[in-house]
Amino acid sequence: MSLQTCWRCLARGSNQPHPTRWPPQQPWNLYPSLTAAFTTSSSLSALPPKKKSKSPMLETNVKGAKKTFVKKTKKRQKTDSSKRPEVGERRALRKRIVLSNTNALEVEGLKDINAQLMIDESLRGQVLGIPGPVVDQLRAVEAFKVKQGWPLFRRPAMLMRKDTLDMATEIENISLGIRDKTIRRVFVGERGSGKTTMLLQAMTMAFLKGWVVINVPEAQDLILGHTEYGPLPSTNPTLYTQRTYTASLLNAISRANPILQDLQLSQPPPRTELPIPVPPNISLSQLAHLGAQDPEIAWPIFELLYRELTLPDRPPLLLCMDGLAHAMRNTHYISNTYQPIHAHQFTLINWFLSHLSGESPLPNAGLVLAATSESNSPPVPSLTLALAQLEGNAAVQKNPFATYDARVLGVFEQGGVQVRRVGGLCKQEARGLMEYWARSGVVRQRVDEGFVGEKWSLSGGGCVGELERAVVRMRV
Amino acid sequence: MRGSQNRSFTSTNSSRAIAAPPIDLTQDPPSNPQNARVIPASPSYFTGRPDSTDNYLDLLALLRRYQTLPTVAPAQAPRVAWRTVTQYRLLVGEPVRASKYHKVIEVLQRLNRIHPAVMPSPLKQAMEIYKRDIDPYAVSKRPNIIDADGRAYGVGRRKSSSAKVYLVQGEGEVLVNGKSINNAFGRIHDRESALWALKATGRMDKYNVWALVSGGGSTGQAEAITLGAAKALMVFEPALKPALRRGQFSSEFQSQ
Repeated sequence: MSLQTCWRCLARGSNQPHPTRWPPQQPWNLYPSLTAAFTTSSSLSALPPKKKSKSPMLETNVKGAKKTFVKKTKKRQKTDSSKRPEVGERRALRKRIVLSNTNALEVEGLKDINAQLMIDESLRGQVLGIPGPVVDQLRAVEAFKVKQGWPLFRRPAMLMRKDTLDMATEIENISLGIRDKTIRRVFVGERGSGKTTMLLQAMTMAFLKGWVVINVPEAQDLILGHTEYGPLPSTNPTLYTQRTYTASLLNAISRANPILQDLQLSQPPPRTELPIPVPPNISLSQLAHLGAQDPEIAWPIFELLYRELTLPDRPPLLLCMDGLAHAMRNTHYISNTYQPIHAHQFTLINWFLSHLSGESPLPNAGLVLAATSESNSPPVPSLTLALAQLEGNAAVQKNPFATYDARVLGVFEQGGVQVRRVGGLCKQEARGLMEYWARSGVVRQRVDEGFVGEKWSLSGGGCVGELERAVVRMRV
Repeated sequence: MRGSQNRSFTSTNSSRAIAAPPIDLTQDPPSNPQNARVIPASPSYFTGRPDSTDNYLDLLALLRRYQTLPTVAPAQAPRVAWRTVTQYRLLVGEPVRASKYHKVIEVLQRLNRIHPAVMPSPLKQAMEIYKRDIDPYAVSKRPNIIDADGRAYGVGRRKSSSAKVYLVQGEGEVLVNGKSINNAFGRIHDRESALWALKATGRMDKYNVWALVSGGGSTGQAEAITLGAAKALMVFEPALKPALRRGQFSSEFQSQ
């Protein structure tokens, strides 16, 4: 009997790639090509059926399967329709200083600080309000910081602690001419101990006494590379000016120190010094305003202004700088040889540090104050060492394997810089502060000895920032 | 000392149980060696547990001998930690049943009630082998005291942290590892829990705390200080114990 299939089909049957995978086939199924007469390839080796393109409404009616409707929802593209913040809006919100809260209770009988009251020792532990004009002045010199607790209260006020009263006495003595030497001081202390607030209190009292205040609110702003810079001609080593920053500083000086309106320019500067003609007998306020308007001449004007302020019969000066460690290291600026520029090569920092070091004393006396920061402080071992030595901390010794910055050590070499550690409040001061908080409505508990003692311990011995955190901000 | 006695005790007993007195074949009239048989010395020779049975029988013999001696009330008897049945099994090397050993303990307790003044020394020696090698009742905790500088300390442990806390009368200053408490613990909650013992008793401004703490994380360290401070506070003021219990301390403190 002849075979039913042709030789070609036999060949195909033996060409199955994996014959063992398939179940043993019945003889009548051995040749699947029979089931698809119109194709020459085996249906077993055929590709799987192609997926049908899905129509949105119905799937194909497979035999035996139900006709199904598949509801397809349209994907909505989510478009963000919210309003984008304007350029600088977020920054403005971040940097906004709020000094008043209308929800806070007005403290009845809150005395304002004034030039006579500030040296009263009996006021120790009491909170005194800062008068409105002084608040404006402080705002102009950027003495208030964002993270301080000013928005909790109806109006700014300050605690008369021991350090405040000491400084008040010094300011008073300098104003009276009892003390004619410049006091140079660096505030150190743990985070939240009130170093920046000490600067603010010093500025408040200086304003009340009619001093001229020049404040660098953050040394970091000068080194971060956020403001333009340029070399000062004919200086070796090259000094760099920051004209925009200097202009804004002149603006702050002229706005914050109304006393400058009463002081007149003693003599017009030579043309070699200032490229523009300066009218004779203008007030120093106008002079500062000139520099504020034109950054090109800001630095020469600043120099001129400072020289005018150090003439005889001018008021004492208060110079402040916060975040001192930033001014003690290489900046983010680079020189024309692509080397980082040291902070001491910038004219403003150089000018301030020459006063702090005692290199250029203030002829009319005054205070040169700087504060370190614990929360925003780059590691500067030279500064740490110098401050520790000046403080008399024998535990910090020079590390023989570390490299120290001679320029930084040089600032403190001359001596005479006082390092003042701002510690915690005593319990009496803490109680006065808490009573003020209670009267402002931010503390609901009864302020008694036990409450004060407990919070005093929790805040690490009356560290003001921690006290505020524990009492005012952590309300359950 | 006690261990060496134990070893000799078991070996002699076993030999006693196994060996019989040697047969004297030279005696007159000579006995017939055909009739000679080994008579075991111990009545427990035919049991599977010769040593323990012998010991029990010895104890019973001692009890019979000394039962007329005056006794004290059970509460007045010296407190003795007898060996557990497991320890006794290891000692004699036999599978002793707990119920049998319980009978031994009962006899021992009765013997222990004999007035200490008249306790005979053979009985003392016999009872010695049943006592544990280390007497837990002899170990007494050294009581915490306020030292010459006015400090008291307590040790607290929590999670992986261990704290040694010194308390001294003062104004509420706190140093943790030489740092102020706000430098040691960033969270106010941790600071509160570290000083909770003082807060719960209203002593926050009466004592200074000086703590050394190591191991674990900040929460564990804070809570280790809590316990250490509570224990140190108890040295100063033992009457504060109920207040500290009410202060919701950990189970360790509540069980004390």
